[in-house]
Amino acid sequence: MTSDAEVIGTKSGSRPVERLRRLITRRPESRAVILLAIVSLGAIILEPLVFTAYSATLGRIALIGLVALGLTAVILMGELDLSVASTLAVSGVVMASIDSLPGGILVALIVGVCIGVANAFFVVVVGINSFIATLGMLFFLRGLAFVISDEQPVRIANIDAGIAFGKPLIGDFTPRMLIFLAVFVVMHVFTTRVRVGREFYAVGGNRTAAYDAGIPVRRRIFTGFMISGFVAAGAGAINTLERTAADPTSGSTVLLSSFAAAIIGGILLTGGRGSVLGTLLGAASLGILQVGLTHSAVQVDVQNIVIGAVLFVAVISDPASVRAVFERVRIAVRSRRHQQTPVTSA
Amino acid sequence: MKLEQPRMQRFKLGMILLMVGSLILAACGSDDAESDASDSGDESSSSSEGDDEAMEDDGAMEGEYNVFALLPQGTDQPYGTTYLPPMEAKAAELGISLTITNSQYDADKQASECETAVAAEPDLIILWPAVADTVRPCLEAAKDAGIPVTVTNSDVKAEDADLTAAYSGPDTYGQGVASAELMCELTGGEETGIIMINGLTGNTTAIDREAGFEDTINEQCPNVEILARQPGNWNKDESQIAASEMITAVGAENIQGVYAADDTMVAGAIDALKARDLDPADLVITSIGNTFLGNPLVVSGELDGTVFQSSSWDGEHAITVAHEVLTGGGGERIVEFMPSVKVTADNADSPEVAPEW
Repeated sequence: MTSDAEVIGTKSGSRPVERLRRLITRRPESRAVILLAIVSLGAIILEPLVFTAYSATLGRIALIGLVALGLTAVILMGELDLSVASTLAVSGVVMASIDSLPGGILVALIVGVCIGVANAFFVVVVGINSFIATLGMLFFLRGLAFVISDEQPVRIANIDAGIAFGKPLIGDFTPRMLIFLAVFVVMHVFTTRVRVGREFYAVGGNRTAAYDAGIPVRRRIFTGFMISGFVAAGAGAINTLERTAADPTSGSTVLLSSFAAAIIGGILLTGGRGSVLGTLLGAASLGILQVGLTHSAVQVDVQNIVIGAVLFVAVISDPASVRAVFERVRIAVRSRRHQQTPVTSA
Repeated sequence: MKLEQPRMQRFKLGMILLMVGSLILAACGSDDAESDASDSGDESSSSSEGDDEAMEDDGAMEGEYNVFALLPQGTDQPYGTTYLPPMEAKAAELGISLTITNSQYDADKQASECETAVAAEPDLIILWPAVADTVRPCLEAAKDAGIPVTVTNSDVKAEDADLTAAYSGPDTYGQGVASAELMCELTGGEETGIIMINGLTGNTTAIDREAGFEDTINEQCPNVEILARQPGNWNKDESQIAASEMITAVGAENIQGVYAADDTMVAGAIDALKARDLDPADLVITSIGNTFLGNPLVVSGELDGTVFQSSSWDGEHAITVAHEVLTGGGGERIVEFMPSVKVTADNADSPEVAPEW
């Protein structure tokens, strides 16, 4: 039982705390903001180079975040797209295989959209679970990338253009960073101001209710997968340009990083909750963490432990999860007490 | 409702503790010597404590040079695990503060690490390319920043070589050649059908070794015919599966030899042969590595020959060559190849070719 003092204390000091609690509960990206603040603070104290050499940090955030932004469209609807990394690889290889640079980029983006359509077809029309459908696509596309590239990296025809693309365009901002910011703005506006984008939440939150409300759920799922494929293909084209070559093995760390960014950003994998802003914050936290650890000469296995710990924090700091954990602990303690009581009295 | 407030406090406390724990873990993750280096005003080092002592004995200045080593592997791979300690020891001895990264063979990640390295303005960058075709922008960025780059383990493309100051490491093409020469000697001109297990598809070392082996076979012993080839991805289990599939596809009776691009994969291929009741001793089998896995196979006669690759030589020479560039660079590109020593049953017990990884 709670003492009177505790109750009084709760009442008198409840307003700011309660307001903060409501804010954290209501806004899924609030926790991502807190996480970003803590990670940034840690980086400032331990590795200030993360911020003084901010262009490298922004580059890492853009690398992780771009695919994650596209992925957000799918996750918001409660679906998964495991094929993003393979889409990135295959679109890069397709682009590098075409001599004309603008033509190559255009074809790569079309390939990305087609992959999105194929994924959505399997999920919506055939009725395969998106995890399985996109897992199959992951293997198919990876193999396709190897076949198209003849199992070797493919250099782009205009290497100088690629090197120029990797250099700062406005201030210290490279085209990759500017494209990333543009995609973020477009995605943010799309999911918050455009009806079609807002309906993604309805589809992810309660699909049956979305059907009943007259939302074209199938079309929305098609749109989401097409966005994911398009953005992943764009990332593939950017990577190919910046590296001056397409690598059929590329994207090996992208899949998990982009999912991690989305999860850290507070996006619910079952859909209906989260935001593009959250993904941006998640990518920023992850990017700062990775660059900070790299500057600190931390080996990749320890980096993985740290990133894993941050992921755990992101997941378990969800108020619903915390409440569930405490509830279970309380029940376990109570049941133990009940078991011990007769023994003590005897 | 009354319990809401303390519950919230507990939640926040738990969250803060976890975050602090993560950051402490990050800080502890870097080697002990890093903190030593930080104490002396250097924020990035990975030399070990013992190395620091050795360095003090030698009178070398700690952190005289700041060097970034962009590697595609580290303690997550057997080769990297034994590559790093000699590298760090030599760095400590020569007064080099090392910041080591591991891109896990992801070219995009390595490119991002290169951006980070260039931004940190070190005295030199040591590069082990994850994918040689993709490092040109990194080399250009380093050149623009006036940072010399030396290459270790796996060389850059010939057209990019002028952007680098040195290369040290195995002659990956030459290793394929040496393994093929062993195959040619052992087959003695007899018609021999072999299966070929290559490394990770697209990987530079895998491509070079395959080319070196195939070119030599074609030139020196056309009696050896490659019946089938598949990647084993530097992995024993995957190699075993690949070998098993090729035996089925080609027919066991047609196979008289096996070539695998490293000892780990040849061990998988030998297991696949045994699983089909084929005696590996009856076949001509060659490989590359002379590792803890491969050397005993040579001694037992299951593996006919392999080519020694010394991870300690590789790690150590990455630093000596970098130091050479730092102290007197600017001249012609330095190239130091690791000797490709052939290991057969005759010399497998010799201490000179004692396996290291």
